[in-house]
Amino acid sequence: MEQGSSTAGLGFPEGAWIKADRAGGNGGPAPNEYRLEADVLVIGGGIAGCFAAIKASEQGARVILVDKGYAGKSGQTPYARNFMAFNPAWGHNLDDWMAYINKTSEYVNNRYWTEITIRESYARYLDLVAWGVRFQTGEDGQPIRHPVPPGITDALRFDETSGGDYAQILRKQVLRSGVRVLDRIMIAELLKQDGAVVGAVGFPLDRYDLYVFIAKATILCVGACGFKPAAYPPIVQLTCDGEAMAYRAGAEILGKEFVDTHSTRMDTPVGIPNMLGRGRNVPEHLKVLMGPGRGKPETNAEGNPIPDRPAGASLYTYTYLEREFEAHAGRAPIYTPTPEGKKEVVGGACLGMSLRKADGLWPADTHCASSLPGLYAAGDALGNMQNGAVYALAGSAIAGGAVTGTIAGVAAARQALRMGKLAVGEREIARAKQAVHAPASRSGGFSPRWVTQLLQNTMMPYFVSYIKRADRLQAALSLVMFMQQHLVPRLFARDAHELRLAHETRNMVLSAEMRLRSALFRTESRGNHYREDYPRRDDPNWLAWVKIREEQGEMRLIKVPIPTEWWPDLSIPYEQRYPFRFPGE
Amino acid sequence: MAIEGIDTARCNGCGACVLSCPADVIRMDKDAKKTVVRYPQDCVVCCWCIAECEQDAIVLTPIRTAPLFTAWG
Ligand SMILES: Cc1cc2nc3c(=O)[nH]c(=O)nc-3n(C[C@H](O)[C@H](O)[C@H](O)COP(=O)(O)OP(=O)(O)OC[C@H]3O[C@@H](n4cnc5c(N)ncnc54)[C@H](O)[C@@H]3O)c2cc1C
Ligand code: SF4
Ligand code: SF4
Repeated sequence: MEQGSSTAGLGFPEGAWIKADRAGGNGGPAPNEYRLEADVLVIGGGIAGCFAAIKASEQGARVILVDKGYAGKSGQTPYARNFMAFNPAWGHNLDDWMAYINKTSEYVNNRYWTEITIRESYARYLDLVAWGVRFQTGEDGQPIRHPVPPGITDALRFDETSGGDYAQILRKQVLRSGVRVLDRIMIAELLKQDGAVVGAVGFPLDRYDLYVFIAKATILCVGACGFKPAAYPPIVQLTCDGEAMAYRAGAEILGKEFVDTHSTRMDTPVGIPNMLGRGRNVPEHLKVLMGPGRGKPETNAEGNPIPDRPAGASLYTYTYLEREFEAHAGRAPIYTPTPEGKKEVVGGACLGMSLRKADGLWPADTHCASSLPGLYAAGDALGNMQNGAVYALAGSAIAGGAVTGTIAGVAAARQALRMGKLAVGEREIARAKQAVHAPASRSGGFSPRWVTQLLQNTMMPYFVSYIKRADRLQAALSLVMFMQQHLVPRLFARDAHELRLAHETRNMVLSAEMRLRSALFRTESRGNHYREDYPRRDDPNWLAWVKIREEQGEMRLIKVPIPTEWWPDLSIPYEQRYPFRFPGE
Repeated sequence: MAIEGIDTARCNGCGACVLSCPADVIRMDKDAKKTVVRYPQDCVVCCWCIAECEQDAIVLTPIRTAPLFTAWG
């Protein structure tokens, strides 16, 4: 075991987990409580959390990083391969990159964050190299640049054959920086005092214990938000916990209407080939899961190629809605050509997820602060709209995680180091503990697995989450609200594992409400948000973002206009501003 | 398709699969110094455990099974 790390506070593998979680809860003895203090609490140990923790520690702050899984082997970070890097010495031109993104984003990217991500990506690449992460290099020793899309932007690729898993190298650097790492603890509730966030409460996955973290600044790096779609295992842990607890604490959330539209092969869900392909020998009987890959053109049930995006709109056509349009027109299934013949492709792979970096906490300033004092966010948990309504900048997801993690880590540490000693009221701690343990203290109720299935079945159909219309969104919303009002308060956990499932379910249901309400609110179509009843972009009214916050127990939606200097030139004809036509326009 | 079990003859109790499983399906049995499949119904077939296990002790079937969807649960 690496020094400074621990598994739920106990040495691993000595913890007798299989026995331990049978004690406590459901009328049993009260859970043990552990209290830890830090200047900066980082929640989530993907690329954003690792950068945040390292950079905060470098400022002199005492940092705790806590992860629901095992930092370095959890979240989406271990899956990524391409790291966007912008370097004028390589002939890159900022104006060109910005012009490309501004257009592919359909003009709703937050240009401040797009630019800062591009500008600072190279410095973060250098950090990674200094920490021991290896990138593919050519014979000249220089990193190989992968132009994606050709002639526009460049990404570098991790070299895992000679360098080892980069995510685990990051973990080692976190530990070397003096950060205390606690694995396998789910954070479920934020602590608040005098309007500011002052830490969080969580529990280990395998025992009915409670962990109270008192921190002067807290950074949410919990990654993306999904509804546990079976076709995308990499996000099974990413269940909207961050935005849900932040919303409950009063923070503002952004970008829930822009859905991620990854599709996947029916027989080999996303991520499995990546995982099995990590260098070890794959057992013979599992080779079938590696699949023969995907090709182009994909065809519909009638054998016709499905329409592709016009050149220049984006290379990343798979994050658009073409397949959903085909399904809606009655032309499913969709097939992809492979060396083994055509194979079926299905949608909804990332159910519950927004387009990368669209949804998450609203950045209230340029330092990754949320709208709540003491609370910051970075990586996929920050809704900084760096890619707007369409993800077209390859490798910018992890580069963005490194960039925002750095900004948040430095800002949170500086804030914490300016503060005196923090005393958090016992009443607030008791409230949070009660909320965290509640599903385990009920004597009965509904199983979180069942409610999760209900939610998936409500949100999964293409005609709800992807091809949207007011009446269908309303119908789904009334079901989701029933779940929220009648099922969530009765979620029932029989052990710590199910306590996790209960909190995940509660958070996903809240996020589904956000998603449906935002989709209803945005009465236009743009990028990955398609409204059948409003099939055109509406620039005069909707060059805007949709922000959500709780007011008097209700979910309030707020339109935030985009600065006019970021608008497209409205004298240019609509068809030129937007090369892609939505069905029904 | 899901995890079916651990080949206890091969498992050396290193714990790598427990730490990497994103769905907390596998747990360590301290007494036996072996891992056990504790929550198979939550396995998402991500294959982290397969990729981590140097003993090839994880038994996972590539055949897909869908859980029952019920009126209450
Ligand atoms: C197959 C695949 C390929 C990809 N390829 C690329 C690529 O080539 N280039 C690119 O730029 N991007 C790529 N991405 C996207 C990229 O990996 C993510 O955008 C990025 O890793 C997000 O980093 P993060 O730190 O914000 O979150 P994550 O890496 O997802 O980490 C979030 C962490 O938070 C923890 N957490 C969640 N909830 C809680 C809680 N309640 N309490 C405590 N901890 C919690 C999780 O356990 C996890 O460790 C890919 C993603 C996948 C799945
Ligand atoms: S990784 Fe393999 S050897 Fe190690 S505990 Fe798991 S099953 Fe046993
Ligand atoms: S396949 Fe994935 S979810 Fe299933 S037991 Fe292995 S690591 Fe856990």
